[in-house]
Amino acid sequence: MLIAHPDPTLPNEPPPGALPADVEIALEMRALSVWYGARKALDSVSFAVPARKITALIGPSASGKSSLLRCLNRLNDEIADCRIEGEVLVGGANAYAKDIVVHELRRRVGMVFQRPNPFPLSVYDNVAYGPRLLGVKRGHLLDDAVESALRAASLWDEVAARLDDSALELSLGQQQRLVIARALAVGPEILLMDEPASALDPASTLRFEELVRELALRYTVLIVTHNMQQAARVSDYTAFLHEGRLVEFGETDALLTNPRERLTEDYITGRYA
Amino acid sequence: MNVAAKGEAGTWLVAGAAAACLAALLALLAWLTLAGLAALWPSRIVEARLDDGRNALGEIVASSDAALAIRTSERDRIGGGYVRLLRSTIASTSEPDDAFVVALADGRRLYGRGDASVAAAAQRDSGSPEAEETVWPNALGFFGRAGLFVRHAGRFLATSTPAPALVGGVLPALIGTVTLVALMSLIVMPLGVAAAVYLHERRGFAASLVRGAIANLAGVPSIVYGVLGLGLFVHGLGADLDRWFFADRLPVPTFGAGGLLWAALTLAILTLPVVVVSVEEGLARIPPSLRAGSLALGATEGETIWRLLLPAARPALLTGLILAIARAAGAVAPLMLVGVVKLAPALPVDATFPYLHPSRQFMHLGFTVYDAALAGPDALRGVPRAFAAALLLVAVVVALNLFAIVLRNRLRERYRALES
Amino acid sequence: MSVNPDTYGAFLRTKHDPALTRRRQRRDRLGQLAVQLGTVVVLAALLSIPLFLIASLAAWTPLPERAWERLGTLFAGTLKAATCALLVAVPLGIGAAVFNASFASPRFRGWFKPCLEILEAIPTVVLGLVAFATVAPWLKGHVATLLALVVAMPALLLAGGFALGARAKHANGWLPLWILPVMIAIVAVAASTSRQPLIAVTTPWNTLLIGLALGLAAVPLVFSIAEDALMLIPATHVRSALALGATRWQAFVSIVMPAARSGFIAAIVLGASRCLGETMIVLMASGNTPLADFNLLEGVRTLSAELVLGLPEAAPPGGAYRLLLLAALALFVLTFTLNLVAAQARARLHRRADRGALA
Repeated sequence: MLIAHPDPTLPNEPPPGALPADVEIALEMRALSVWYGARKALDSVSFAVPARKITALIGPSASGKSSLLRCLNRLNDEIADCRIEGEVLVGGANAYAKDIVVHELRRRVGMVFQRPNPFPLSVYDNVAYGPRLLGVKRGHLLDDAVESALRAASLWDEVAARLDDSALELSLGQQQRLVIARALAVGPEILLMDEPASALDPASTLRFEELVRELALRYTVLIVTHNMQQAARVSDYTAFLHEGRLVEFGETDALLTNPRERLTEDYITGRYA
Repeated sequence: MNVAAKGEAGTWLVAGAAAACLAALLALLAWLTLAGLAALWPSRIVEARLDDGRNALGEIVASSDAALAIRTSERDRIGGGYVRLLRSTIASTSEPDDAFVVALADGRRLYGRGDASVAAAAQRDSGSPEAEETVWPNALGFFGRAGLFVRHAGRFLATSTPAPALVGGVLPALIGTVTLVALMSLIVMPLGVAAAVYLHERRGFAASLVRGAIANLAGVPSIVYGVLGLGLFVHGLGADLDRWFFADRLPVPTFGAGGLLWAALTLAILTLPVVVVSVEEGLARIPPSLRAGSLALGATEGETIWRLLLPAARPALLTGLILAIARAAGAVAPLMLVGVVKLAPALPVDATFPYLHPSRQFMHLGFTVYDAALAGPDALRGVPRAFAAALLLVAVVVALNLFAIVLRNRLRERYRALES
Repeated sequence: MSVNPDTYGAFLRTKHDPALTRRRQRRDRLGQLAVQLGTVVVLAALLSIPLFLIASLAAWTPLPERAWERLGTLFAGTLKAATCALLVAVPLGIGAAVFNASFASPRFRGWFKPCLEILEAIPTVVLGLVAFATVAPWLKGHVATLLALVVAMPALLLAGGFALGARAKHANGWLPLWILPVMIAIVAVAASTSRQPLIAVTTPWNTLLIGLALGLAAVPLVFSIAEDALMLIPATHVRSALALGATRWQAFVSIVMPAARSGFIAAIVLGASRCLGETMIVLMASGNTPLADFNLLEGVRTLSAELVLGLPEAAPPGGAYRLLLLAALALFVLTFTLNLVAAQARARLHRRADRGALA
């Protein structure tokens, strides 16, 4: 995987829709471009994700939303012919610097996938997977870890009596919350969510959105969604991607009711899917 | 002849082929069970009166249209009492209730008529210190003989055999087979899992080389592996080991002759492809989302493989192991070159340090089948014994394979649940 | 509340432990090393077979006299046994595969395949025993009966198909199970006749016997390769032919068979490779007489049997030893080439199937 650095001769343009200076930034992308082989998936994307707020990432399919998420926790490293240009700053430090330990980064930037992917282990072992990697052996500390993570994902009451059951026996909505608990157990700062409610039914989706709002009190959330109503309900800030380029970024209310760019307006009003 | 009828005829023809396969399998299993159990079932004693007044008392061991072969008392040696009687010369046969058989400790059988004292006298005369059993089979009912059968079966499974390996149990062969298989498993499983993990993770030229080697060398006949074992291990490495470490024992070879270690290594190479293919298939079945999930939690690749993927592929590992064991239990030809013997002077595992003796020769159940049938001095005893051993072998191997099939089906169910 | 979230929170706040990170990275590296090492050992072990055999040729001890003649005889014997075995394995294996793939009901298929896997699992030493001890004595007096059965069975099946086929069509999915008892009955009756043997046999341990036992041993392999090829053919093609009015048999002959041809060839080639290398059956059921003629009623000695009997006696540097290693190399090259050919044929078939270019 090749990592290139931005061309210093280009002028440093302010990104479309920059944040006011007093907002704390958790994550920032600067001129981030991604190639899969010859195909360019992201084109010089630059914006900053505010800390402990929910930022939605919207856009038509194949606009690069998932690719962007995968750059932020370097899961793109697993793809053979993936090339990155630009910078990703997590807490001020470049995620692609040579001395970064990738698995440490991934602990700080957690990810929830589109379809829940619980491990074929018990509920307890799923959540305990992360802490065990961190050296937490059996005992009170591990139990505490599991319980607090499950509580934070508002799943504890439902599974407290079934900790040893297989995680695969849970309902889809429960599995998705389990996966969140699993991610929380390693103590991330940022949560990346890739269309996390798309596999859920409407009732579970609403409960899920409630959970996301709770999580935003302690974590920074970046959520990819196809559903603009969801973006409107849940997020504080929204970024609109189109064909790999960032078209507009700003506070959700403003962007959705009064978009600055024509493309954004077309997408929101449904002129194209 | 209309077209439809021609079509049906064709269908019947191929259906017949399938039926023939099933018939062969059923006949084989049925015959094995029959012949194997019959070898342990106590037979009746027959008294044949000939035209010229002579008598023959003993067990019928073979019969054809024209003649009868009877084993009479073996006074001098095992196999020394067979008589062949033409049916045309037999005036009458009967099964007297007071006929007894004394099975001596050295394997000889004595027949006579009378009560316990007569039997005891016969045994004393024979010169053998003790009798294994003295039985009046004709007087026993079905349940009596069934009880005797159980005793014979128990002895077959649980005792060893004195020279010349014609009677007695197959316990040493069982122990030898189990030890061999255990040692082979210790060698083949780590290597097979390592190669499977490598193939799962890497894609380049080296990986395709390994994959090619496994696929194409898997079909090589087992005897060729035996030749490799003999040439490379026994005569090559073994001779070297002898020269370096056991020179004081030369010219008696320690590792320079066939033994448990070389046999286990040879079988390990033989079964490597089976294990690698099975484990790799198991790893490939795991949905990639699981791996992504583990990495996203901050696990390294190694931790993901060790803590998540390999445990998730446990059924595949088990299947591979079972298939390897089944193959090892049945592969006789290569073992004949690398260390199996008819009668081992000592077991490869015993109570003397270091408890496992990898340089020793060993016995093997499959080889017992061959040896008893073809290489013994008394074919009329050897063949039934071979059938009994064959029945045992087939029972174990078939059970292992059935277990592997069941596991494989459960694997498929589990991953269907995972993917949905 | 039983848990104090602050303890774990406290742990997380002090979580950044460079020593732990270093340990994890070290463990990872060790694990990678172990995997690479294991793979190298596996590769070396597998490659050692051809390398060792070829390297042993380099030793320059003279071969015993008439060495090549002996090898030739063994070769001929091996081919003879394998051919005879294929005459049994191919009709049964391919026939059963054709039925299983094209005509059988799915439940029958589910049971049939494991049955053949069980057959494959039976160690060949056991097959050899049954051949040696049970079939051989019978064969001694019943060669003519056997030949008669071989001719009569297919004829009876065809006749049955003509006569009863149309009426019994609904039973087609399970047809073999209906045929089975009748077949067994016929064979049992034929086998128990004991007249004066029409064909005199000097030794019952002959090529015919080996053909039967060896062929049976190879049936599962031929079956699975042929079935694999047949399953690649998309069911839609057969269904469209059926919709156009063809019978299943016509659809099979016109659509399935031409497409699966290379699969059948691969099955035969792999079956041949298996038969060439089989040892125990030949050892037990042949007379081990090194003759090279076409008489099926004489014994035969193959390369593999020669290896098993000769190698324990031959001492390493001697000429006899070298000859045997040469025989092993010949056997290896033969089977390896056949396997390679079959693998290529199968790969070609799979590629065509992936492209949708089959049938």
